[in-house]
Amino acid sequence: MTVPAIEADALGKRFGRRAAWALRDCSFRLPAGRVCAVVGPNGAGKSTLLAITAGLHAHTEGTIAVLGTDPASARSRIGFVDQDKPLYPQLSIAETLRMGADLNPGRWDADTAERIVAGGDLDPRKRIRALSGGQRTRVALALALAKRPELLLLDEPMADLDPLARHELMGVLMGQAAEHGTTIVMSSHVVAELEDSCDHLLLIGGGRVRLAGEIDDLLAAHTRVSVPADTDLAPHDVVESRTAGRQLSALVRPAGPLPADWRTGPPSLEDLVLSYLRNPEALAAHPTTEAAA
Amino acid sequence: MTATLTAPAPSATGRPAPAPRQLRWLLRLHRPALITGTALTLLLGAALLWLGGPLTDAAAAAWKEYNACGFTPRCSYDQDSILLYKDLYNYTTFAVLVVPFLVAAWAGGSLTGRELESGTVRLAWTQGVSPARWLVSRLAFPAALTVTATGLTAWLHRRAWTAGEHRIDTTKLWDDTPTFYANGTVPVALALTGLAVGVLAGLVLRRAMAALATAAAAVGVLWALVHTALPYLWSPVTSVSALGDGPLGAGIAVEEGVLTADGDRLAAPCVNGGMSGCRASLDDIGAVNYYRDFHPASHYWPLQLVASGLLVAVAAAAIATAFALLRRRTSRVSA
Repeated sequence: MTVPAIEADALGKRFGRRAAWALRDCSFRLPAGRVCAVVGPNGAGKSTLLAITAGLHAHTEGTIAVLGTDPASARSRIGFVDQDKPLYPQLSIAETLRMGADLNPGRWDADTAERIVAGGDLDPRKRIRALSGGQRTRVALALALAKRPELLLLDEPMADLDPLARHELMGVLMGQAAEHGTTIVMSSHVVAELEDSCDHLLLIGGGRVRLAGEIDDLLAAHTRVSVPADTDLAPHDVVESRTAGRQLSALVRPAGPLPADWRTGPPSLEDLVLSYLRNPEALAAHPTTEAAA
Repeated sequence: MTATLTAPAPSATGRPAPAPRQLRWLLRLHRPALITGTALTLLLGAALLWLGGPLTDAAAAAWKEYNACGFTPRCSYDQDSILLYKDLYNYTTFAVLVVPFLVAAWAGGSLTGRELESGTVRLAWTQGVSPARWLVSRLAFPAALTVTATGLTAWLHRRAWTAGEHRIDTTKLWDDTPTFYANGTVPVALALTGLAVGVLAGLVLRRAMAALATAAAAVGVLWALVHTALPYLWSPVTSVSALGDGPLGAGIAVEEGVLTADGDRLAAPCVNGGMSGCRASLDDIGAVNYYRDFHPASHYWPLQLVASGLLVAVAAAAIATAFALLRRRTSRVSA
């Protein structure tokens, strides 16, 4: 069995002894080679989790193993793109890429970097400070990809890209994943953005893991049901239920076969995510440990 | 998604990856500071060479002319050289002493503060550079440059001052405060401490302007502390003089007063033991001699070296703190 890309157990982080927990009780396991979406509302702890994984923050409690070792030891094998895409404004694009080569000796893939930058019709002599947000994202992605990481962590990577660039760069990322088996973890608060490209989901809300696992498995484990309002949904676990008139619409996690007279349908990923986020107490009913097992 | 796992890079297997080449990029990122610093050092060096050479000769000649005038009512001498010497001496002394503040401000503001404020440090740390290596690069080469530049200018300052001693009547004495510091190793140690404190301030405050101001202020405070402690950094010599002569001994005074017949030290009620009123009050308290604890010129280097040593110890503590802080913040090896 291959080493998992990330394995977290009761991981917690708070910034300062009296501060609130930014991340707490975070346990999950991400197998290598997956493309994983980390979704959750703003301030849920997504960035904190990615920064810990990248070896930028020490965690406060629990354990985390990245590529089979601690985050600091895995540093050279991890690519990271920060939410703010920090780059040195005084350098040109070409200089930034040369710096990447110098800082990643033995790993650097200049062709990949140049290809990604060229895709945006960027003049390599242009200074970083003269670039738009989307163009900076492109350079930041080029830097992260050209070090040929085994694990690529992207914090809100697509936020300031136009739809065309988003589509193209997503294609580049998927190509990378397919060709090199790179594990990709990308966060977003827009679920639709990730639905087509990701095969694994990590849902974070309120600093905790709410749902984790293969997207197909998660979807298969849930059913959207529509039944008369007085129906008893037991013994099935109810994630969310809503009564409209005489109809009860619910997202359930069936404990067994559902009665034949219930109207059922598969939930969409967005539906699933929103249901869990709207109902924080649903976590207790559905320990997600099997996804971490 | 099914994907075959291939090792993305050869260095992932076994042999350690070669060290990242950071120096070139440190120089590139701080090119304006490097150019400015080099220009200022060369300019200051040239000014000190001129001061210690042609200008000292001209001013010395002018003083010779002036002294030859005696009481002649009309006499011409090269007053411009004397005034220029004096001005340039003061300016260059000030410049030598201000360098540590500039180094501290740059280190706090630009070297670490700005990188933490803008987040570019995360870029460095997620390339192949570990936080510790990043910090080493931010300290080692700048420290070498700082020591070279401040060492050179302080040495040239001393050289210029020595050239004028005994030849130019208005040459500052060795214990004149600015001259005392600019002639020795303290500017070098202070600049090094400024670098270390600045780097630490940037890491702690994570804001460029705040770190810049804090680092410069810290150098001021450290210098004030060293200046206050200076007389006690080496054991002074004691000169005992007759009451009629007043307390004697030229140099950095530590303490003075009167001695009684039993050898007790008392505060002196007055220093003009030759005058009858003063003499009466000295007799009242049983004083038999004046004494003065002071540092003569021969204590110059011991005082400089101990002061510099203290500053370097502060620098070492700041550096150790910076490494510990970075380590605590960024890495925790999972059990």
